[in-house]
Amino acid sequence: MNNIDQIISEALQKINNSDPGALELLKTEYFGKNGVITQILKSLSQYPADEKKKIGADANRAKNAIETAIEQKKELLKKAVLDEKMAKEKEDFSQIFYFPFSKGGIHPVLKTIEDISSVFKSLGFVVAEGPEIETDWYNFEALNIPSDHPARDTQDTFYLEGMKNLLRTHTSPGQIHVMEKQKPPVRVIVPGRVYRNEASDASHSSTFHQIEGLAVDENITFADLKSVLAEFIHKFFGPDLDIRFRPSHFQFTEPSAEMDMQCFFCKGKGCRVCKNSGWIETLGCGMVHPNVLKAVKCDPEKYSGFAFGMGVERITMLKYGIDDIRLFYENDLRFLKQF
Amino acid sequence: MKVSYNWLKKFVDFDLSPEALCSMLTSIGVETSVVSGGGAWTDVITAKVLTKEKHPNADKLSLCTLTDGINNYSVVCGAKNVEAGQIVPLAKIGAVLPGGFQIKKSKIRNVESEGMICSEQELGLKESSEGILVLDENTEIGVPLERVLESDSVLNVEITTNRGDCLSHLGVAREIGAKLKKTPLLPAVKTLDVAELSIVKVESDLCPRYIGAVISGVKVGPSPKWMSDALEKCGVRSINNIVDITNYVMLELGHPLHAFDMSKLSSKKVIVRTASENEPMTALDGKTYKLDAEMLVIADEAKPVAIAGVMGGEYSGIDENTETIFLESAIFKPSSVRKTSKKLNLSSDSSYRFERGAAWDIAELASWRAANLIYDIAGGRIETREDIKTAEYEKTNIALRVPRVSKLLGYTVEENRIAEILRFLGIDLKSGGKEIIICSIPSWRNDIKEEVDLIEEIARIYGYDNIPNPHGQALRISTKSNSFFPEIVSDFRSKLSGLGFCEALNYSFSEIKDLEFFGLKYFHKIANPISKENEVLRPSLLPSLYRNLMLNASQGADRVALFEYGKIYAENGERKTFAAIMYGNVWQEWWKWAEKKINPKYDFYFGGGIIRNILPDGFTITENLSPKSYFHPGKTAAAVYRGKPAGQFGILKPSLNGDLKDDIFYFEIDIESLESVYGGEVSLYGHYSKFPSVKRDISVTADKSLQFAKIEKAVKNVMKTGNILKEYSLFSVYDDESKLGAGKISYSFRLTYRNNDRTLTDEEVNSDMNALLEKLDGELSVKLRT
Repeated sequence: MNNIDQIISEALQKINNSDPGALELLKTEYFGKNGVITQILKSLSQYPADEKKKIGADANRAKNAIETAIEQKKELLKKAVLDEKMAKEKEDFSQIFYFPFSKGGIHPVLKTIEDISSVFKSLGFVVAEGPEIETDWYNFEALNIPSDHPARDTQDTFYLEGMKNLLRTHTSPGQIHVMEKQKPPVRVIVPGRVYRNEASDASHSSTFHQIEGLAVDENITFADLKSVLAEFIHKFFGPDLDIRFRPSHFQFTEPSAEMDMQCFFCKGKGCRVCKNSGWIETLGCGMVHPNVLKAVKCDPEKYSGFAFGMGVERITMLKYGIDDIRLFYENDLRFLKQF
Repeated sequence: MKVSYNWLKKFVDFDLSPEALCSMLTSIGVETSVVSGGGAWTDVITAKVLTKEKHPNADKLSLCTLTDGINNYSVVCGAKNVEAGQIVPLAKIGAVLPGGFQIKKSKIRNVESEGMICSEQELGLKESSEGILVLDENTEIGVPLERVLESDSVLNVEITTNRGDCLSHLGVAREIGAKLKKTPLLPAVKTLDVAELSIVKVESDLCPRYIGAVISGVKVGPSPKWMSDALEKCGVRSINNIVDITNYVMLELGHPLHAFDMSKLSSKKVIVRTASENEPMTALDGKTYKLDAEMLVIADEAKPVAIAGVMGGEYSGIDENTETIFLESAIFKPSSVRKTSKKLNLSSDSSYRFERGAAWDIAELASWRAANLIYDIAGGRIETREDIKTAEYEKTNIALRVPRVSKLLGYTVEENRIAEILRFLGIDLKSGGKEIIICSIPSWRNDIKEEVDLIEEIARIYGYDNIPNPHGQALRISTKSNSFFPEIVSDFRSKLSGLGFCEALNYSFSEIKDLEFFGLKYFHKIANPISKENEVLRPSLLPSLYRNLMLNASQGADRVALFEYGKIYAENGERKTFAAIMYGNVWQEWWKWAEKKINPKYDFYFGGGIIRNILPDGFTITENLSPKSYFHPGKTAAAVYRGKPAGQFGILKPSLNGDLKDDIFYFEIDIESLESVYGGEVSLYGHYSKFPSVKRDISVTADKSLQFAKIEKAVKNVMKTGNILKEYSLFSVYDDESKLGAGKISYSFRLTYRNNDRTLTDEEVNSDMNALLEKLDGELSVKLRT
């Protein structure tokens, strides 16, 4: 009895101090032909039945304990060898990773269009397009901008030879195209290129992008406009930003407003991005002017709507802190690879 | 437009700081900001300069002693105009100047300075100033500066194009009154009954109203200080008392006036008429303009003396010898003034206001106000006054249906609040029945034309921010969905950007010279380009992508891979188009690969491989039957969608390479024609075997003239019929004619055989491979290379 426990504890101690070769020898020492445990099992026949049972059980207990300990030790030793090997194989992770393919990129302006579109798509808007080569009717007249109106001064226009057609100065003609084709309810956004005949500088470009939005239905209100745009700002720029609406003027909306959002950079405290005002002018908007609805034969007594428009480059510049609009059109890889 | 804070207070009483006033005006749509303001300081007092000596250690500084009557201060001053005896503003130690600048005890070149003598700029009184501010010699000393200085702020007002009525102090005051529920006071004017001598003749209906007055015996001289100061704050230069009065009244009431020297008119007649074709006229700016028959002028019997509403003539202006003046206060049609100003490229404060519409009633008020100021300041006597109308003015009346207000705004504003808002906007109200208000619009609000304009007025004065925007307001949703990028373009963009391409964005314009270089024709020419770069709309994406390539190559990039999606402007109109350009090494040098010398270029085959890889199912690559002029005719191919050519790719002609040594690969595809037919096709899932495959390599020789596609087609046929050949790849192409024989080329394939249901035997594979070789030999004379 004591004897068995002593055998086990001696064996465990030996195992603990063994290397792989010694473990093999220990196996023979205990379980070989003349091994300690083998001898005990062989001697069982000399004992009376009740003692035989007890000694047999003890011997099996010792066998299991020693075998398990040997296997565990083997594993442990194997692991130690691998650990030692791996420790010697340490690679320099600090700087020599290098990917042989150049980094690709999606243009930041088009990425902004995709991102804004997906927000409005989640709000139930459809993406539509309109032509860039327009007539005076679509670009101005139908939008309640008569030919002698000073509002035309702010939109210097490129005319095509023959003076019949022009390059659209805003995406708002998209409103007219959509409403000509579709009866209310209408919910669309129209992203696209627009053109202004003016010299380029850090904040002006003869080509740039806008996104126009339009919702027309029965009972669309100014409150709807505010809630949709608030939703947009919160999904695109951040959930906690304040917004404010200032009265403004566009010929094709009445009432008209400019929407400012709290600076997403400093959260309204004042910083370089918002020129210390805490607010960023984000977009123009308003309720669709009855004359615009009439121009597409939509009854302004029955239907109302809201429209909004924003400059994509402007928003992209704000978002990434880009200070010169011309960088977007230079296509220097050192710029493009950053996006 | 610049306005003075104090001047506004003469019209309407308000208790708001300049900053608070600006944010209030901005909130109702009149964007206003403080340009400069007074009183934004603490601890600045008046003090007298007792002595002035040269600073011992600096030539340009002086050391002054000042007194406030009790204490003396020793101050270092850098201004040239400081002199003993002057009374000046002194910022004491601890004073804070605008911008948060704090005055501390300091040593300047080793001499202690106990404060600072201030300039107007430092005090924020002016945007710029020279030297220190010298106060009147009778100024009390030792008192806070703000007590002796009239403190004022200059505000900058930006109006929207419809609000010409706000271009004056009265106009801005009306807005303040509308928000604060106060009625602005008009300046008191004395009207006189005077003779109506027939001097004025209005011959055109472009002038609906013309008020002319002759005032004799005036004494022209400098303006009183209060007036020149007022003009200066608003950025208007003082000229003489008469001209200044016309400008002052314009800034005050918003109505442009003009004064002529009566003695310089060739006859005692003033005629309002259209110019004759090519009639010359020298304006106040010294330039001579050629007028046309659509332009309205003010003329004497011989020649024009002013371009109506735009600018006076050089030879009829007021000077120090003028004794009799003709004072004009007129209304000109906005569209006429605008057209004239545009055509002559000549604008003025006057044309800016007339273009936005002058007010019928204010023309008369302004005429009397100016006449009153003239007798008060320059003396004289009004001889005659005429008020000629070629049209009758009718007030605009609009019916406002009260329920429409809440219907459009989504929020109910009480009817009595609506009425109150409208009244304080100067609108007269009358009941028009149940829930209908008849609104009579004042003459200066020419922008209010219909009901919805009134609703905007109500909303903006009530406050846009006071209209609630319930979170997540439900809108009826449209069901169709769509994207800015057609599906095929989205595919191209994501695949190419993953392959290391960058997306470019270029202007829609081209220069004709550039197009000629590529042999391209243009179809849409700009009639009024600002520069050569905007001459025509681009007929291809190549010229700009090529320019992008050259820019990056010149910056040292040895690998340029760009793509662009945009419109080109072709013979058949705007076409959505996708293009890619590639040049140079496919990958950058890498130490791991250095020994293997792997350095592929974007050549015809690699570029073509990329294109084949990004093209979806349904496309085939075929011979390019009508290659674009810029492609190398031997190195180009066409991308065909269901039998219809859609795109082309290839290597640019060597003549287009410039200094670049490697091939330039270009791909352009018309998306417009694909968009309607391409629906993101789904090909059915193909089963694949769980059993091992057998691989065989074979080399075959063929005539060089045989297109590889024909061999490929034969292989594909065997794949179909035998059904155990699952994959093939071309791993080597060899064309050493000395070994193969003249005109021969060798292709090596790796063939992969597999059966879906069991392991293949050698015999099965051999028999299928022999079938392939027989087919190649029999149909194409392609033989196994031995």
